[in-house]
Order: sequence, then C-alpha cells, then structure tokens
Amino acid sequence: MSRDHEGELLASARRALARASVDGEVWVRDARRAFARFGSGALTQHVELCEPFAMVRVARGTRLAEVTTDAIDEAGLVDALHRAAALAVHAPEDPGFPGFAGDGGVAGDATPFPSRFAARTAAIDADERTSIVARVLDAIATAGLVGAGGLETRAESVCGATSAGAARAHRASFATFRVWASETAGAGGASGFGHAMHRDVDALAIDEQTAHAIRLATMGKDPITLPAGAYDVVIEPAGIAELVEWIAMTTFGAKELAEGTSLAAGRHGEQVLGEQVSIAEDPLRDDEEAFGAPFDREGTPTSRVPLVVRGVSTGALYDRAWAARAGTTSTGNAPPRTGWPEGPQASTLRMEGGSHADVAALIADVERGVYVGKLHYVNGLLEPRRAVMTGLTRDGTFLIEDGKITRALTTMRFSDSIAEASFRIDGMTRRTVTLPSWWSEGGTVTCPAVLVRRLAFVG
Amino acid sequence: MTRGEHATQLAEAALAHAKRQGRASHVEVRWVESERESLTVSGQRVDELSSARTSGFGVRVLAGGGWGFASTKGEREQDLVRAVDAATAIGLAAGALRRVVFPPEEARVGAYATPIAEDPFDVPLDAKLGTLLAATERLAAHPAITATDGYMEWARVTKVLVTSEATRTTQRFVYTGAGMSCVARGDDGVVQRRTYPGFRGSELAQRGYEHVRALALLEHAEQLREEAVLLSRAAPCPAGQTSIILDSSQLALQIHESCGHATELDRALGHEVSLAGGSFLQPDMLGSFRYGAPIVDLTCDATAEGGLGTFGWDDEGTPASKAHLVKDGVFVDYLSSRETAHALGRRSTGAMRADGWSRPPIIRMLNVSLTPGRGSLEDLIADTDDGILLVTNRSWSIDDLRKDFQFGCEMAWEIKRGKRTRPLRDAVYRGDTPSFWGACDAICGPEEHRLWGISTCGKGDPIQAMHVGHGAAPARFHDVAVGAS
Repeated sequence: MSRDHEGELLASARRALARASVDGEVWVRDARRAFARFGSGALTQHVELCEPFAMVRVARGTRLAEVTTDAIDEAGLVDALHRAAALAVHAPEDPGFPGFAGDGGVAGDATPFPSRFAARTAAIDADERTSIVARVLDAIATAGLVGAGGLETRAESVCGATSAGAARAHRASFATFRVWASETAGAGGASGFGHAMHRDVDALAIDEQTAHAIRLATMGKDPITLPAGAYDVVIEPAGIAELVEWIAMTTFGAKELAEGTSLAAGRHGEQVLGEQVSIAEDPLRDDEEAFGAPFDREGTPTSRVPLVVRGVSTGALYDRAWAARAGTTSTGNAPPRTGWPEGPQASTLRMEGGSHADVAALIADVERGVYVGKLHYVNGLLEPRRAVMTGLTRDGTFLIEDGKITRALTTMRFSDSIAEASFRIDGMTRRTVTLPSWWSEGGTVTCPAVLVRRLAFVG
Repeated sequence: MTRGEHATQLAEAALAHAKRQGRASHVEVRWVESERESLTVSGQRVDELSSARTSGFGVRVLAGGGWGFASTKGEREQDLVRAVDAATAIGLAAGALRRVVFPPEEARVGAYATPIAEDPFDVPLDAKLGTLLAATERLAAHPAITATDGYMEWARVTKVLVTSEATRTTQRFVYTGAGMSCVARGDDGVVQRRTYPGFRGSELAQRGYEHVRALALLEHAEQLREEAVLLSRAAPCPAGQTSIILDSSQLALQIHESCGHATELDRALGHEVSLAGGSFLQPDMLGSFRYGAPIVDLTCDATAEGGLGTFGWDDEGTPASKAHLVKDGVFVDYLSSRETAHALGRRSTGAMRADGWSRPPIIRMLNVSLTPGRGSLEDLIADTDDGILLVTNRSWSIDDLRKDFQFGCEMAWEIKRGKRTRPLRDAVYRGDTPSFWGACDAICGPEEHRLWGISTCGKGDPIQAMHVGHGAAPARFHDVAVGAS
C-alpha cells in the first residue's frame, strides 16, 4: 500500500460517484491481513490475505439499493454504482429515506482524529511472525504443555464518500495475539489463556501473556467438580467482554428497541442494569488501546454514546435510516456490512472499571466462589428482555476459598439473567482491558474484571 | 474466452512459475467468483436490496515442508506470480517449525453443476419482492404482532481448481433460500418470535428458485402468526426430566453442534483450539466408542441432492463421497483432509473447503445427517405418554469439546398421553452429547426427513462462514433435562 492509500481510495471513490452520476454513497476498505496460527504445539496455518471490500448504495428518489464488491478501483466502483442504480428501480418508495450523509459533522468531527496506525504492524514479514511463534511454542513446550493460538496483523485503509458531500478517509492497524497452553493437544484437560491487542505489533505483551497462560494451565491440573448452584464469581475481562457484547447486541440497537425485544425498550431513563455498570460506545478515545474509526459505513462521523450510566438507560445506537424513523440523528453506528446482527451496532464498547486494585483484590473479597478466566460460547438470545444468557467456563476455572484460589475446577455452565446479576456486582478492577469483538468486524470491547455475587450455574 | 477459462489460464501460468522456481513440492491455485443477491423486508418496507460480487485467487503451496497461503484479487499474470512467491516464502518459513506429510493423490479432471429447475437470477425482482411483502402482510394481521420480516437470497458461485498434481476441476453452484419471522407481544409484556422455515440461516438450499416456491411462505404465514400469538400468552416450560421430541430443524442444529463439529479431525488433533476448541472424540476412540444408541447412524455425504455441503470435489481435489461418522451408534470416522487423515493412516473424507478465494481451505462439514427410521411425527407424538415437542432453534451453546450443550427453542408443545396439550415458551434443554444420543429411542421415517442448510457455520481463524447441510427426521430422546430460560 502507498503512504496515502486511503487518500487514493477516497479520490477514486469521489471520481466514481461523479462518473456514475448518481445519488450515492461509497464505502471502501482495503485490508492486508497476515495470520500465523498454531495448534498442537506446531505452526499449522500461515497466510497473507488480500481483503478489498466496498459497499455502495444508490438512491433513485427514495428507492434504495446496495451493492458490495471487491473490485475497489475506480472502474469497479463505477460498475457497482451502475448496478445499484439498476437494482434500485425495483425497490419500493421509502418515504422515510433520509438521504445520504453530507459533509457536516458532530462534535467529535471538529478535532483531528487520533492516529490508529503503526507502520511496524503493516511491515512485519513471514520470517518475523514465524520466529515469534517459535518462541511462544518453545516456552509452552518447556513447561510440559501444548501450545495453540495465533498472531494476527492487519493494516487497512478506509474511505467513505457520498454524492451529498461527505468525504472521509482513515487508516488503521491491528495486531492481536492469543495463546493457549494446554495439558493435551485437542482432548481438553487443564488449559490457560492469554491475549493481547495493540495497534503496534511490537507492543504486544507476547511473553507476559504466554507466561500467564502457562501459569493458569499448570494450576489447572486435577480439577474437582462443583455441584450446580449459585456462586460468587470473579470473571476476567476475557469473559466479561462476551457478556457486554451480547448485552449490546440485544439491547442498544435502534432495531431491537423499536421491535420491543430489547431490555431497554420503553425504559429510557430507567434503571435497567446494576448501578455499578456504565457502558458507552466510545470510538473517540485516544489511548494505547483505542481502535475506533472516525466515521461509519454511511460516512457519518462517529461519536461517544453513553448507553448506560450507573445502570440507567441513557442512549441508543442509530444509523441514518433508524435515526430518521426515531426522529433523531445518526450516532455513526451503521455497521460495515449488512446482515445478522441487523441494524445499527456498537463497534467500540467500553465498560467503566471500578475501584479494586486488581483481580487478586476481587478474589480476596470472596469467601467461597469461582474464578473464571474466560467464557465460551455465550448465547444471549434466550430471553433478551431480561438479558438471560448461558455459556461455559473455559481455560482456567478455579475454586476460591477464604479469598484465595485453592484448586482447579472442571468446566461449569452458567445460565442466568445478566441484567439481574448486574445488580449483584460487588466490585470491579480499576484497570480495563481491550479485546477484539467477536460479532463486530474490526470492533473492540473494553472492560474490567468483575465480581458478581450468586451467579447461577446449572452444571 | 469465458472468465473461468481466463482464470484457468492464469492458474496454469502460476503453476508454471512455481515449477520454474522449483521450491514448492505441491501447488494449488483456486479461483472463485460469486454473485449473491438478497432482499430483506421489515413489514411493508424494504430494509435491504443488495447484490454482492467477488472474485479472486487463493494460492496454497507446500514449500520446504511447510504450508503457505496467499490470496490476490488481481487478474494479471504478475498478480498470480506475486501470490505464488508470497505463499512460497510463507511455506519456507513455516517449514522450519513443522514438516508436513502430504500424501499424493491421483489427478481429478471434470465439472460439476448444481441441478436446478428454475434459475433464481431469471425470476424478476418484483416477483420476489411481492412474495415477501405478501407474506409479511399476512403475518402482521393480528394486533399482538409488533414486527414482521421476510428475507430471500440467491447466489451463484464458480470455482476452478488447478493443482500441480494435474487436477483440473470446474464447479458451478446455485443457492437459493427464503424465510420470514414475526414478533408477538402478549398482554403481560411477554415478547416472542416465530421463524419459518427454521431458525434464521437454515433456509438456504443448493437448488434453484423451485426451492423458494416449495417453501410457500404465504401459505405458512397464518400458522406462524398464530403460533407467535399463542406463545406470547403461553406458560414457561416447566423444569424437569422428560422425553423430548426434536423437530427436524432443531435436530439439524443438534447434529451440527454435537456431531458435525465433534467429528472434525482438525479439532480432535488440536488445530482449532485457538478458536472453537478441541473434541471429546479422540482418535483412539475410533471404531469402539459408543456415541449413541444402536439406532443412531450419522453420515457425512457430499453427494446428497440439494445439500449445502454437496459438491464434485473438495478444495484439495478429493472427490465427493458418502461415509459413516457414527454407525449403529459407534463412532467410526472423522471429517478429514488429506494431511490429517494420513496422520491416522486413513483416507480423506473430502472435507477441505474454503469460504471464498481469500481464505485457505480447512476441514468443514459436508452434509452431516441422521439416517431416518420409521413412522411419522404424529405417530411419534401418539407414542409418547409424557414429553415435550421442541421446534425451531432460538439459542445455542456448547462447550469447547462438543460435549456439554444447552439449546433453546422458539416453541414447545407439552405432550400428554400421546397428544399435544398446550404450548410452552422459553424452553431450553441440556445434555451431554454421548448420553443424549444414547437416549435416542425413536427416529421418524424418510417421509419426515428433511435436508436443512446452515449458511453461516463459523470456524477458522480468520473466521470463515461456510455452507453446510444436515438431514434429519424428528427424533425422540428420553430423560432429558428441560426448563425455561
């Protein structure tokens, strides 16, 4: 990619809009991704991927159609715009269509957007990735365990332009590292997990996280099984992130609110979660772990949206269409692709931390309970109006007795209303950790470790 | 020259380049072009009318004993040369850590095409839209209904595979599907959704537009609406141990999660730990482990007509075939690739597939199906003294070894003395995979057997969303833990 690839993409998008001579919107992302994946103590998959993508939308009056393509040069975009224009003829009139974004912005648009790009992440090559993986596998094998995980780097240039005058471009880099140390290759047993995410691949805490995974796996041998019941539980950020993301997906989007399936439907200004819980969509933050983009797929500048403040429902996420239906303005939450989950979605969730110094301090507040390193396969579609969820513990489940971890536990399944459980939160770490989103492409979830009293486990 | 022929020519040039370089012992060049159109309506409003096109090359190389993969959107010879060089460099680096043993295969040459009666791209958009809007209008015809939606998609995919083993295959696939759902709100605020024909994402088939016509959305809208309204007034499913009957759609997901993923050999060997996990089905259990009751036969079949997991050859050139995964209740084989099967002294079951040109092939499900037994669903209900019929998946969760699961369903019917007595809402059931399948005591017959598609099975890292199929007739399981969410 050139030094100003996003600028070139934007120029190309604007020329395409002019050439196609349509009322339209163009969003382009050109990503280069590399991934060194390891499992069963060996490098199993090593790839370099080219991922061009564009979504264009064209309106003929209030008839609207969209086209996606991976032909992102000017000719490809013109072709996509023409195809969208031809499709739009068949769409019924949508009197509520608000038109495409113009060049106006919101508060966050006035200041220069913080950098989200580290050149080293874009430059790392196959030999360097291999040598990092070799170091990790060696450390895990030395501990008598089996290594698995992945080192991923991604550099992307993004632009958005509309015939109404919006024209924005951005570049970003992502480096993520995930590591498992396990007793067996694929048959279960004790395991530990570590993770790191940063814009700069050189800043990933690879050795520290590998050591953390080894430590958890070593502690996890000879587990006992706890009976079903309600337990005080300390959950690391890797587990809390899954719960926060499911709450966001089923609660804060304008579609879920309008359909009445959301926990917060008809309850704006009411206490919907415990008063220790504050969650915001926070794309504008400017720190080491910030990944938010300056504009969404419609070209709308992104903005900070407080969703829940001390448990009170305060905000919702909108794209332009859902905002028009609700008589408000877009919050810049049109997701990069349409599909499930549908409607406006969060991409940079942030749950505020608490006052506990660290996870050990949370554990110290538990007389008898469970430490959870990570959750697995959480599902939040059981009863979204109460945020009922189920899922399993994974990679480090331990018994806490008298404020200390005493021994390993087998996998446990929780099933509970997370909304109701949030009223039983009794401590959170000050420090928050950022993890990649599972459901939102390029998205992140930032959250603390949390102590919840009497979470229901069913086995 | 067609685009497929042009792609084949470029792939041949890439192979020639790799051969001249002399560093790769095996090369696969795969070209994929796809076009997908979709329609989504909410009520009488169109939410999405879209078309997606994509095409490009994926190059997989075995060099220096290591796998390398690179993808390119470019359609010039130099783009392919760069991709071959990048994949080779990656393979050489990877080979320093692990030397792959990749068994040779004979060359495969041929073509495959989805048999269709009616090309979905020939059906006017207005007619498709009319079908969805008529369905949502009928769904909305009750004051308790608060939201309705309808969706339809159709796609065509061309895939060309050219390998250094002289394999040359061209495959053309057509996929079509449609569905709808509605939300009802009861007087006490209970909100319930019903979906047809199965859970969202299960409506696609490898067929032409005749599949959409057969789904008959309009004819099913009234029943769906009435079920949603009933559910919004229904009692929660009581907790306890009882017999359950899973409808065909829910059973398809049960098979997917507890058999399909569990029998993926890459998971069993530990290659998938970094995303979804391993498997409780380990190689030393092959041929002896009792996975289920003796009536349980589960097959993987890439030849089933209309299946999303049906093809001519997988992405390593292994021909489509049918094999048992579980026979007479005993675990007998894995879904596998050439490399992983060879590690166990077996032959590949032909399960290596990528979800597009920019991803490497990994082990995926084909059509993993339960062999039917005898009788109708009504016969089975009549034969059940006390139990619950569970219909259409709503939530899913299973552990990283594919053993401990919990599923929730949109609708449940209480069964007493052989009759459906009342609807129940928010039903969930839990179990342990081998115990659950070991408690299977009846499977309905071929007349109730239906092949479902799952279009978004997520696996791999980076994630790949794959089309897979599952055939199932309703089946009964005894002593299962049930309750309300």
